[in-house]
Amino acid sequence: MDDAARRLLQRLVRRIPAQTLKTTLDKWGRLKAAQRQSMDFTQSKWALTEKLLAICEENELTLKHIAELEMIHVIENPDRSMWYALQLMDPEDDAHSVELTQFKEQFKSHLSELVRHVSIKIKKHTDEAVWIRIAWGDSFSRPNHLKPTYVVHHLQTPYVFVTGLTSKLKLLLTQALVLSTRHQAIKDASLSGRKLTAIRDLLMRQYQQVFPTKYPSPLAESNQNATNPLIDKEQAELSANRHQMACEAFGSGMLPQLQSAVYKLETKFRDHMNKTMTEREEPLKCVVKFASTSLLESLRHCASSGIASTPVTPLLSSIPLKGRNYFVITDNGPGPSSQTRQPQN
Amino acid sequence: MESPQNSVARTPSNSAIVQRRSKSKSYRQSYRSCLGAASRLGLTPGLTARRLNSSRRALKSQVITEKVNPEHLAILVKAEWQLSYVTPLYQFRHTQLKSYSRQLSAFIAAEKQQGLAVEVEGSQSSFRVSFSVVQGMAETDDDAETVLIQIFSKPMFAKQDEPQRSVWSGWLTCINGNPDYLHSLPKGFTCLPLFGSSGAEVLTSLVKSWFQQTFDCCFGCLEINQTSLQWLAALWTNCHTESSLKHLKMIWTIPVVPPLQVTYTVDPQDAWELWMSVRMDQLDKSEEEEEEQARNIDIEEVTRFMQGLKSHFYRHFRLDLSAGNLQQVSTALGSAKFSGKIKISSSRYIITTLALLTECALLKMPI
Repeated sequence: MDDAARRLLQRLVRRIPAQTLKTTLDKWGRLKAAQRQSMDFTQSKWALTEKLLAICEENELTLKHIAELEMIHVIENPDRSMWYALQLMDPEDDAHSVELTQFKEQFKSHLSELVRHVSIKIKKHTDEAVWIRIAWGDSFSRPNHLKPTYVVHHLQTPYVFVTGLTSKLKLLLTQALVLSTRHQAIKDASLSGRKLTAIRDLLMRQYQQVFPTKYPSPLAESNQNATNPLIDKEQAELSANRHQMACEAFGSGMLPQLQSAVYKLETKFRDHMNKTMTEREEPLKCVVKFASTSLLESLRHCASSGIASTPVTPLLSSIPLKGRNYFVITDNGPGPSSQTRQPQN
Repeated sequence: MESPQNSVARTPSNSAIVQRRSKSKSYRQSYRSCLGAASRLGLTPGLTARRLNSSRRALKSQVITEKVNPEHLAILVKAEWQLSYVTPLYQFRHTQLKSYSRQLSAFIAAEKQQGLAVEVEGSQSSFRVSFSVVQGMAETDDDAETVLIQIFSKPMFAKQDEPQRSVWSGWLTCINGNPDYLHSLPKGFTCLPLFGSSGAEVLTSLVKSWFQQTFDCCFGCLEINQTSLQWLAALWTNCHTESSLKHLKMIWTIPVVPPLQVTYTVDPQDAWELWMSVRMDQLDKSEEEEEEQARNIDIEEVTRFMQGLKSHFYRHFRLDLSAGNLQQVSTALGSAKFSGKIKISSSRYIITTLALLTECALLKMPI
């Protein structure tokens, strides 16, 4: 074991919670049964690290193996960093037939061509996702295993999720991805969040959606707590209507847990009460950020409670509809960076 | 409130305790009980005087570095302060600060001995308290001079010769206090209604209880309400041409499940132009009062400014920010939070900002 491997192992043991350390090590499967039994998980992290280091020396494990352990931990606990979504575009004819072994080989060879020192590890997870761990180096230095990039890609879908990627390395990664998935281009999907599953579900529409219907279904649960039947009767229709529209916009039941949405607005100020500003040529520049532990559920509640008017503005419903949480809004329709047109109301 | 034990510590005779306690009741004076004395009987001018001023002067840029000790100023603009209001202090003397420093040090040491105080950083070594007057902050002759309190201590594992560090600081101030109220105070009272503290909570509560026992006053938390936050947003925006805002950031919380937080950050130049458009309309209306209007800012203008920002927001998101609570306003000149935390980043506007907060503190005092 060299220094880099030691450092990585030390950091890893520090990071893995004591309760899950045992199961993570079991999954790793690099410890012999006797060694596993000799580990006392009630000991301090420091003592455990020392013990593990000794075992790794004994088993002649290398940096490669420690990286594997890290990968197991990250796959089990993906919600510890910010994930960004990328979208592959313009698939080639054979894009749909790319399978795992081919992708693995292609990706490794393309990336190694682009960067001299790079360490790549690819692992298929049970939910069909391909996990890639990349430790980057450059022409003069060996790969830095302390700052790896993680990439998650579901084969045959256009979506790629990355974390821990610097802008400098983004170009290299996207190029390798485009080539190995048989696509022609890749773009930023303007979606990010701390919960990988949430942004994945949002993009792949794996949540309960409600579609507009001419005959709204009777909402059984909304009438249960009736205290005053007359008022309730009067309100029920309106509130049911609002609820229906809120669900149409954001979905019903549990929604993917998105933490935030950001809008960069560069639109004209219009207010009949304020002539001076309305006549001003330049747009008003501002940034609006919505944040919540579960943004879509908060917004749905805003609409169903009447705090936000219904029908829900396209700006907000674009979050689930387009699977994005970063928008640039201008008055002149789709510009170079603006994909959402501002409603003219 | 004082407990009998503490009174004994100060006044040995038992009869004195009874006297002292009864005095404390009658001496507690408040802004509202003075101005609104008659108002409890019906509608009187006293009632209107209880509201926050509906018009105030624009934040004056003041080069107070010449008036105020720059060291003191540096302390004031450095930290974020948790605000409280304080009822008038009985028998407080600006000439006794040295003695107060000793008394408070001794008080903290005694409390520590009793084990009442929770361990704080550096509690191994003793605390040294320093009271000082911040000269030049007062705006009128009626304002009592600002008092700065600092508590120093040595870090737990400090070397022998390492100097003590400031572990807590606080101040009491009164800027542009309502003269009617200040004049109505009986002899022996000093009104320093605004208290700011920064440092360990434990020390804050020790300082507060020492003040309560020594000067027969009470403390209460001072929130910066919606109106004051809006005032600050407008007052800061008004300064943009003199010193850049960098941004005007406002945070609302919307009461839905789970709670939604909306952060609305406006470009400083655009915010200023919106503000000026609101001001200009007002100026046109009353040309004869132009001189006066140019200096004074009216609550109506503040409301219209905020309304303008909210309507721009509504036009895009069809979500009414009025349904939520304004929690925080911040610019490069300072930041204020509903919870009563304030940071004033520019010494040029410290006086006028503190004047607004003094007014809030006077209003918040119980009857």
